[in-house]
Amino acid sequence: MDIIPTGLTATQIFISLPFIAIMVHVILGACAYLIYIERKVCSYIQDRVGPNRVGFDFGLKWLSFLKGALGLGQPLADGIKFLLKEDYMPKSADRVLFTLAPATIVIPAMIGFLIIPWGGYIDIPDMSVPLLGDIGGRVVLAGANFNAGVIYLLAVASLGVYGVVLGGWASNNKYSFLGGLRASAQMVSYEIPLGLSLMCVLLICGTIMPMGIIEHQVQNGWLIFAHPLAAILFFVAILAEANRAPFDNAEAEQELVGGYHTEYSSMRFALFFLAEYMHMITSCAFFTLLFLGGFHLPAIPGLGIEDTSIVAGLLKLGVFFTKVVLLITFMIIIRWTVPRLRYDQVMFLGWQSMIPLGMVMLVMTSVMVFYEWTAWYELLAANVVLTALVFLVMPVLPKNKVNKRIPMYGSRFNPMPGERVETSAPGGLATEDRPVEGTVPAM
Amino acid sequence: MTTLAATELADYFPLIVIIMMAVTFSVANVALTLLLGPKRDGKVKSIAYESGMNPIGTARKRFNVRFYLIAMVFLVFDVEVIFLYPWAVTFPNVDRLAPGASEWLIRILFFLFTTVVAYLYGYRKGVFKFD
Repeated sequence: MDIIPTGLTATQIFISLPFIAIMVHVILGACAYLIYIERKVCSYIQDRVGPNRVGFDFGLKWLSFLKGALGLGQPLADGIKFLLKEDYMPKSADRVLFTLAPATIVIPAMIGFLIIPWGGYIDIPDMSVPLLGDIGGRVVLAGANFNAGVIYLLAVASLGVYGVVLGGWASNNKYSFLGGLRASAQMVSYEIPLGLSLMCVLLICGTIMPMGIIEHQVQNGWLIFAHPLAAILFFVAILAEANRAPFDNAEAEQELVGGYHTEYSSMRFALFFLAEYMHMITSCAFFTLLFLGGFHLPAIPGLGIEDTSIVAGLLKLGVFFTKVVLLITFMIIIRWTVPRLRYDQVMFLGWQSMIPLGMVMLVMTSVMVFYEWTAWYELLAANVVLTALVFLVMPVLPKNKVNKRIPMYGSRFNPMPGERVETSAPGGLATEDRPVEGTVPAM
Repeated sequence: MTTLAATELADYFPLIVIIMMAVTFSVANVALTLLLGPKRDGKVKSIAYESGMNPIGTARKRFNVRFYLIAMVFLVFDVEVIFLYPWAVTFPNVDRLAPGASEWLIRILFFLFTTVVAYLYGYRKGVFKFD
């Protein structure tokens, strides 16, 4: 069989292959620098400076002008360090699965971004290329453009659970095992609200092709304004899917050391880390595609669907990528400011709040679509009504009885009967911040 | 009524390319670190980490049944969601005024209702309790 046909598919392949080759490297570089951004954001939140030493001078005198004060060389140094460390495997580990696990997690993470239409449509002039034959026409500046559409993204994203399970199982370590179990149960649970909120978008747009979804948003406004509940549900679900805080129970340091990658070292550990960040990029791109209008910016010419020159395509790619990076920065800020949920709270949130809400949302959206009330203000009004209903119904629902705080008698929150505990000092200072007798407090 | 676009297997050619790239990437990285990294074996080093103690027993023990339950309930709901995708794509294109159009809505609402029954059954059985 002729694997490369003529016509539009050949043109798409002509665009896709170089685009994939470039985009893989862009995303790998972006991952490295996202780790840098994460460390910087974290250190500013914690009142530190963060990485600020490593530049690109490699210790050479004649390159000293490349010595950066921002520590921009840190990702490169980290990468080299990962390569030069010992790759160790405990004796009791399952050799095959232990080797397989990092690959199983990094491959789905790497192939996910394939159908994200970074640059929208571009026009390719008619020309003749060896191997592919005559090409030309309007194609999507993306890794591929096939009719599975966003379903492919969903399928690939859920493959990531295998690497986690394998890594946890193969290590033969109790921490890894528990981390793998927790991660798999959590990823599996949050896939359902993810699918339900994606379904709302599909119902509104009536297509599974990524370009169709963006076109709908260009014409009718971004869906985050039309359907904010679905957007919130989707965002929480991708946080949980990527095992990011506040859902990072799989690697809760205080309980499980490192989670499923406790026993991993050197580059194999780095692959786990890289996969997490690539997963974040893919899922944030997915969110941008579904709710933030993809490459579209309102009131800025040159970014519409009809601008199909190559320059416009690259410009759109830049806009899309900027949105993704901003979203990831938001995720990072969430990680360093929101405390981690307990595991039973994670499961409660997934199964007893998000799935029922997702189902109600789906019914609401399908009724709205059936009566063709799909303008953004109509959907927004329905969202407001649904939120009000949830707040009305919530007090009637059965309470979760098991998660009460256990009172520790004698603590300052539950003092013994008749005892009075001083929790705040006069003068607005906390008890711990009161100055020692005879000193002046540093303000 | 719309139909899905005809399947072009050649459209999936870039997928094969990127899978090959990903496999090469992971294999090359692991191979490089095996080549470049030092090898220092040790008797204590080869023990699985357990907070510095000698591990007690194996890690492949029986674990909490709730994880099995979650897996089973996940199957029910995920299959339900998968059944809904084709409907979700075709449903917006249904003409509301055409005869029999409301069946598209009513049937899927009944289907969702069966899932709600399954959810309530699971809830009564305490599947979603994770205390």
